[in-house]
Amino acid sequence: MNVKDVIKILNGKLVLGEKRLNEEVNSIGATDMMSDILALSEPGMLILTGNTSPQSVRSAIVTDLLGLVFVRGKNIPPETIKMAKDSDLIIIKTDMFMYSACGRLYTEGLRGIDERD
Amino acid sequence: MKETNCKLIKYASIFEDLKAEEIMTKNVSYLFADKEIVQAKELMKVKKISGIPIVDKEKKIVGIISIEDIIKALENGYINEKIGKIMTRDVRCLYLDDNLPIIVEKFERLRFGRFPVINRQGKLCGIITIIDILHKILEKFNLIYIHDKNRNIRLNDEISLITGEKLTQDKAEFHYEIVSGEISKAGEGAAILKGFLIKKGIDKDIARRVGVATYEAETNVIIHSESKGDIFCFLVNDRIIVRVIDNGIGIENLDKAMKEGFSTAPDYIREMGFGAGMGIPNMKRFADKLVILSQRGMGTQVEMVFYMNKNKNEKTK
Repeated sequence: MNVKDVIKILNGKLVLGEKRLNEEVNSIGATDMMSDILALSEPGMLILTGNTSPQSVRSAIVTDLLGLVFVRGKNIPPETIKMAKDSDLIIIKTDMFMYSACGRLYTEGLRGIDERD
Repeated sequence: MKETNCKLIKYASIFEDLKAEEIMTKNVSYLFADKEIVQAKELMKVKKISGIPIVDKEKKIVGIISIEDIIKALENGYINEKIGKIMTRDVRCLYLDDNLPIIVEKFERLRFGRFPVINRQGKLCGIITIIDILHKILEKFNLIYIHDKNRNIRLNDEISLITGEKLTQDKAEFHYEIVSGEISKAGEGAAILKGFLIKKGIDKDIARRVGVATYEAETNVIIHSESKGDIFCFLVNDRIIVRVIDNGIGIENLDKAMKEGFSTAPDYIREMGFGAGMGIPNMKRFADKLVILSQRGMGTQVEMVFYMNKNKNEKTK
C-alpha cells in the first residue's frame, strides 16, 4: 500500500509531500503522545495523530518518520505546516476520528508494528 | 574479617542517605505472644519467611521468633506452647531513619537474617532482610545516583559524570540554549542537534537515538525546571556525549521520575502530547549510558553517552 492508497482509504487530503505519493507505507502507528512517537516509532513510519502542534512535526523529524496523518479534521496551525515544509515529511489530513481512521486502514491490511512477524 | 567489615560499611556509605524506611518490606507479618508456636510455624510456611516479629496490642515489638526456634520446639515437643515462652525478648531492631551504613554494620556484626524496623516509639513498621537491601541497591544502580555533598560539587562542573574526563563547555562541538518555559520550542534543540550529527557523517540510527533522548531531556527542562538550560554535545573518539543542564528547581524524587508513567506535568502540557511520564525512561532506553544528577533547588544535569560503533537497535524495540 502506498501513500496515495492511504489518502484514498481515509478520504483524506494531502497537505504536503506531493513528490512522495507513490512511496510504500511499510510501517504505521497512531498516538497523541510525543513520548510514544519518540520511544516506539521506527524510521519510515507513518503516524496518525490528533496532535497538530509543531511538536508532532519535530518528533517526526527527530525519529525519521515518513509522515503524519492529522485526524478529526483539525485545523493545522501555520507553524506546524511551516516546520514540516522545511523537512521532507508527508502531511495528510482527514476528517475521520482516530478510531475510524485506524480501523479503516487495519481492515485494508495495514498491521501495527507489534503484530508484525 | 575486621577489614571486610570496614570495607563493606565504607561501600555502603555511598548510599548514606538511603534509610531503613525506604529499604524495608512494609507489609510485615507479625504475631502476638499469646499465640502458639505452631501458628508461627504455619505462618512461616505460608509466607515463606524465616522469622516473625512478636508485638503487643499497640504493635510495639516485644520479641522475635525464628525458624531455628521452631525446629527446637519440634525436636523437643513443645510446639503447642505459647510463643511468649520461647521467643527472643532482646530484639535487635533498626529505626526507620537508620541509614544504609548503620544497617550494613548491624547485619555484619550480629549476623542475623532479618531486622524488624521500628519507629522511635518502638512500634513495628517493617522488616529488612539481605534481599531487601540487595533489591534496593540494584534499583539505585539502575542509574548511578550520587548522593551526599559530592552532588553539590559535581553539579555544574565540567567533568564528565560518567567517564571523569574534562568536558569544557566552550569546547563543545554543539551548543543550544533552551528557553525557559517555551513549550512550543520543545524538541527544537534536539532536532537541530540531530541535523548537526547527520551533517557530521554520524550513522543515521545513532543520530536518531541521540535526537530522541535529547528531545526528552530538553522537554524536561522546559516543562519542569522553571529555568533556562543548555544542550552541549561533545564528540570524543568513539562516543557522543550529550549534556543537558539547567539551574532550575531540580528533581524532587528521582526514583519516581525514573518510573514509567510517573509525571508531574500540568494538564496544559499533557494536552500538547507531553507529560506521559516517559521522559527519563526514554532517555534510558535510547542512551548507552545515562547519569542524572539533581538536587532540589540545585538544578539538574543529565549526561548521556552514545557509542558510535555500537548498535542499540535491539534495545529500542
